[in-house]
Amino acid sequence: MDYPTIHSIFTVIIFVAFIALLVWIFLLKRKPDFDNAANAIFADEMKPKSKQQQESDHE
Amino acid sequence: MSQTKSLNVDYNYTVVRLFALTTVLWGIVGMSVGVLIAAQLYWPALNFDTAWLTYSRLRPLHTNAVIFAFGTSALFATSYYVVQRTCQVRLFAEKLAMFTFVGWQVVILAAAITLPMGISQSKEYAELEWPIDILITVVWVCYAIVFFGTLIKRTTSHIYVANWFYGGFIITVAALHIVNSMVIPVSLTKSYSIYAGAVDAMVQWWYGHNAVGFLLTAGFLGMMYYFVPKQAGRPVYSYRLSVVHFWALIALYIWAGPHHLHYTALPDWTQSVGMAMSVILFVPSWGGMINGIMTLSGAWHKLKTDPILRFLIVSLSFYGMSTFEGPMMAIKSVNALSHYTDWTVGHVHSGALGWVAMVSIGAMYHLIPAVFAHGRMYSVKLVNTHFWLHTIGVVLYIVAMWISGIMQGMMWRAVNADGTLTYSFVQSLEASYPYYLMRFIGGCFVVTGMLVMAYNVIQTVRAQKGTLQPIAEAA
Repeated sequence: MDYPTIHSIFTVIIFVAFIALLVWIFLLKRKPDFDNAANAIFADEMKPKSKQQQESDHE
Repeated sequence: MSQTKSLNVDYNYTVVRLFALTTVLWGIVGMSVGVLIAAQLYWPALNFDTAWLTYSRLRPLHTNAVIFAFGTSALFATSYYVVQRTCQVRLFAEKLAMFTFVGWQVVILAAAITLPMGISQSKEYAELEWPIDILITVVWVCYAIVFFGTLIKRTTSHIYVANWFYGGFIITVAALHIVNSMVIPVSLTKSYSIYAGAVDAMVQWWYGHNAVGFLLTAGFLGMMYYFVPKQAGRPVYSYRLSVVHFWALIALYIWAGPHHLHYTALPDWTQSVGMAMSVILFVPSWGGMINGIMTLSGAWHKLKTDPILRFLIVSLSFYGMSTFEGPMMAIKSVNALSHYTDWTVGHVHSGALGWVAMVSIGAMYHLIPAVFAHGRMYSVKLVNTHFWLHTIGVVLYIVAMWISGIMQGMMWRAVNADGTLTYSFVQSLEASYPYYLMRFIGGCFVVTGMLVMAYNVIQTVRAQKGTLQPIAEAA
């Protein structure tokens, strides 16, 4: 395979991957998971160490 | 706040503290050199006829000091802090982390010695000669081991988005640095690039623009995604947008380099690809900017009372401004006017002083009390003073360069009816003169602000435990 072909295939793969990413994020109704992730930065403030580990198990 | 103490036992803050303090130190040094060379452009006698005080040697010292000493120290400090706190584990390979600190300081000192001596590879933002380049590579690989090692041993299941940005920055900077630093050494202090002609120029600006895109953008966006929500006390506006932001940004930035080489020997199609990629880059940039600023939606009143938050949010406004300006300047017809003028210098500083410095300073004001086990900075009032000094300085600087740059562009392209140039180069330089003074004054404001910060940081570090309690209102 020559370089233009390889690059064309690569471009298509990247494009499809990006569309798949958008589908995963916006169409698959996973908002609660993302909200948990967004709140992760506050986990170190409120809870003692042992409880944090429990918390992380169910995600 | 008893858990603050237990957190200090859990996490390795030693290396974070060291990098945080050197951030302030190198910020003052790098920006002071900037003010000196700004003064030299107004009072040329200030080089005192000494070779190592000339503009040509101090200018790379300034850029290296602010980008790699100030900015990168801030990235080291915040990434080590954020990765520990969001993964809820101590740093992996702590001795190696300490080595990255010592090694990075040696790189900075080596740069501070060799650049004024005139030892340079003459590649912008990659001036350091090959022995220093090798040391940078070693330190950077250790940095990657510490950072990704910590991610691997995390106790949380999710990798918070800030770490994705930091990780992307670390990997890409390693690749950029190694590829662009490929040289054939002829002596300890002299080497030649293995690339030739237009390819060499393209590799350099692939490196150069991605130093902007990954070091000065992706790394600091990692900072933004942790410190803005944390300081605001509320989660980021849209976590889903942050994921799209990350992948779109890293996929597009890597292609933007050719816009530095418009109307050169680079093939036309490459210039056009670079232009198109730079223009589309506006979309993820503004997505991220809006995501950061909207985090404050419903809590705008916090800006009134919290100068740290003001630093962070205004940094995002500057980010939005320069990521609008950048794509516009990458359009070939606009670039025909702006290239080689002070407009470019103004654009870089709106990004570097407005976005990079302000988000770093805001993050430092948040991080320094935390890692030294205090509830807040020594003086919140002085943080506010710093904010205004810095903002006034940046605005003076940018406005001066806009006016000067657009004027230069117009004067250089003006032609008489018979096709001869209307103005000589020296005439355009004379016209720029007042704006160089204005830029110098702006720079003085910024450095004064940094000195206020240094005083505030020293007082915070020296304060007795328990004397600096957080202000209750913030909750």
